[in-house]
Amino acid sequence: MAFASVRSSTLLGVQGKAVDVEIHVGMGLPGFTIVGQPDEACRESRDRVRAALLSCDLPWPNRRITVNLATSVHERKGGAGLDVAIAVGLLIVQEILPHEIAERYAFIAELGLDGTLRPVAGVVPLVAAIDDRIVVVAQDCEREARIAARNEVVCAQTLAHLVQCLIGESVWTPAPIRTVVNVAPPSIDMKDVRGQTAARHALEIAAAGAHHLLFVGPPGAGKSMLAQRISGILPALTDAEAVATTIVHSAAQIPLPATGIITLPPFRAPHHSTSLVAMVGGGAVTMRPGEISLATNGVLFLDELGEFAPTVLDALRQPLEDGVVRLARAKSSVTMPAKFLLLAATNPCPCGEGMPGVCVCDDGAKKRYLRRFSGPLLDRFDLRVAVSRPHVDELLADTPAESSAAVALRVLRVREMAMQRSGCLNSDLSPDLLDEFAPLTTSAAALLRYHLERGRLSGRGYHRIRRVARTIADLHGVVDYASDPSCDHIDEAHVATALALRVGVHPQLSGDRL
Amino acid sequence: MNQESLLAAALSAVPRLGTRRLAAMLAVQQPSKAMEMLGREAPSVQDIEAMRQKLDDGEMSVTYIGANDYPALLVDDIARPSVLFYRGDLDVLQQRRVGIVGTRSATAAGRYMASHLAHDLAGQGVAIVSGLARGIDAWGHKGVLLALDRENKDVSARDSHCGQPIAVVASGLDVTYPKENADLWKFVSESGLLVSESPPGTPPEAFRFPLRNRILAALCEVLVVIESHATGGSMITVEEAQRRDISVMAVPGSPRSLSSAGTNLLLQQGCAPVVDATDVLVALGLDNRRNHPQVFDSRRTPSAQDQLLLSHMRGEAVTLDQLLMRTSADLVQTALALGRLESEGWVVNNAGWWEVLGRGCLQGYGFIDGNYRQVEH
Repeated sequence: MAFASVRSSTLLGVQGKAVDVEIHVGMGLPGFTIVGQPDEACRESRDRVRAALLSCDLPWPNRRITVNLATSVHERKGGAGLDVAIAVGLLIVQEILPHEIAERYAFIAELGLDGTLRPVAGVVPLVAAIDDRIVVVAQDCEREARIAARNEVVCAQTLAHLVQCLIGESVWTPAPIRTVVNVAPPSIDMKDVRGQTAARHALEIAAAGAHHLLFVGPPGAGKSMLAQRISGILPALTDAEAVATTIVHSAAQIPLPATGIITLPPFRAPHHSTSLVAMVGGGAVTMRPGEISLATNGVLFLDELGEFAPTVLDALRQPLEDGVVRLARAKSSVTMPAKFLLLAATNPCPCGEGMPGVCVCDDGAKKRYLRRFSGPLLDRFDLRVAVSRPHVDELLADTPAESSAAVALRVLRVREMAMQRSGCLNSDLSPDLLDEFAPLTTSAAALLRYHLERGRLSGRGYHRIRRVARTIADLHGVVDYASDPSCDHIDEAHVATALALRVGVHPQLSGDRL
Repeated sequence: MNQESLLAAALSAVPRLGTRRLAAMLAVQQPSKAMEMLGREAPSVQDIEAMRQKLDDGEMSVTYIGANDYPALLVDDIARPSVLFYRGDLDVLQQRRVGIVGTRSATAAGRYMASHLAHDLAGQGVAIVSGLARGIDAWGHKGVLLALDRENKDVSARDSHCGQPIAVVASGLDVTYPKENADLWKFVSESGLLVSESPPGTPPEAFRFPLRNRILAALCEVLVVIESHATGGSMITVEEAQRRDISVMAVPGSPRSLSSAGTNLLLQQGCAPVVDATDVLVALGLDNRRNHPQVFDSRRTPSAQDQLLLSHMRGEAVTLDQLLMRTSADLVQTALALGRLESEGWVVNNAGWWEVLGRGCLQGYGFIDGNYRQVEH
């Protein structure tokens, strides 16, 4: 029988999809055709497979070869990960390998012209898509492949070696000896931040409740310095989060840490020239995940928020609400995770000073500057804090401020408290959960009513303030939920703090009311 | 409108006929004679008809040097405008007049000062002269608006004893600039006097603003500068006022605030300081000591603890960070106090910076139990 079907998988977005590579060799003019919507890299595998077979002294059938990439849905298939599957299929057709091989193994690797097996992008999700076979991968990505594998993973070095292993004449390359790598703690620490009490508090609240945070301040005030220190106070990822994050990073071909799996929350800081597609994901065939997906379960830091293209910023609005990004193209649509903590920094106005009386920008210039970030985006920041340059005495002070470790402890405690209480972080509390888990005292409700009536808060802002107030109350340890769930009210003080940490970014223009 | 006014208006729109030359011509003869003198340069019949149409459409009136209604204040001015376009009532110029000018990029405290000063002065029957620019100018007239509203909910503006708004603008009266002041523009022309020397349709070109300032200065008895950078339009108005021996007063500000650099400079040079309306009224020779006390400040007196916080915020805008640094107080307590002060109208948050809206309380002083005395530290 001149037919074989070998299992492999392709990548779409951050998800692997099992593909049956069907190979038929028959009469006709010698030729090689790949059908089933292959992309360019996939089509080129013809040349790679032929060269690899010949380099390994394996025969190439001089007949008409047709390869079909069969999946349950009609989608373009991309990548070079199907090379080995095609090669094995050809060997099965020529009866160099037995037919049962196809039933027991799946192959995910690219072939070099000399027959070496090379790693491919997105091995984690690719392997995860195979559920009932032993998966053969290149040696370099063996560790990565095991992260999400549901069954055995083996690796071979060359095509010749692979053939020998499959027919039992050689043994699979043994797994490299694991050296335990200690993840070095981040070298940047909160204790380097002098002064800036309010900004530090805001950072702590943001980390504890996963609230989005915007720093507004003059150049040199330490906005970026503060933002970078959030990594040090966020707790390590849970197992499920770690796998989800690793899958996205693998799919985007980002080198994984030495441990193989990402255990610390990612911190992505794309430059402000980042394009829309780079930010939310997309692109040709494989739909590469964007920065927002790479920041999943971590932090997306947008420095100089005002310099980003407005379309890029507005594209963040839907993922910020839903925690996922849904991309649709003519040929495919994908859903990728995008549950991140948005951290941003901006100057208040073109001259950068912003301080009333010092700023030299006139209303027109300010208006034009502020048009760059839309109101709806600003409304999604739970915390908006004005950062000022630290005082000289504080800059030169010898006493270090509180260290990241101490802050991280509180953050962890609040996060655990929130999970235990409501099953989600404070920023994820829905309005009815808010009523249940963050009831307001009379005075707190009056304060919020005052601001709602004056138009300072939107409906969304109202809920966001309540969520932040919940986190502030948790951080201040007013409530020991375990001992007394009834005294769990949000106080006026917490609401006032939440309001003070959510200032209007738009400077008052002469047309505004006082 | 009489024919002579119309001809004067048409003459003012003749290109290459500057206001100085036109003023010299109109000083000695009627506009119709001046037309004859100009010969070929004179506006055509079509031009005159177009001008009539524009004036009718824009509901503008015209006065010129030599006309009976030309403001007496300007007749002897060193750079008198030859023709004035106006909406409203020239009799407003009979009131006592105080100019309120300042920077376009004002602090919240500056805007607050402008509107309160204008409000209080208007309440004493003083007309407020300003330029309807962004920032201080606009807020001055907003204060007048408030005073008129309070004074007479049902009496029309013309019949009240309130001071009325006077605005001198640079563009043509039918070209509202800046756009956001359109409401004020309308308010001034309906309840006071809106003046320009530019013919209808003139765009707000930059060179027209300094020229406008000379008329503004000439119409004031006292010119008050609320906030000003060391250079800028307000300082030009000040120079024009000084050339005309009009007294200039200034509101003191923090030496660190650039928006007060100009006013502080004026104070250094010997201008009288203004901290409230009484200072201006005294300069005008109006004694208001026996008048009923001001009731505009309806803010509830803050607690002693909040007073202390206020005293740390005086002088210049501060962020929450700086405030926590100065007071070494707890974030939550400070936020609570700021919330109280904000809802009572003592402080305002201006894009992250907190500003005190005070009546010029000195450092360390404040209202305790309704009396103005020193705050204990």
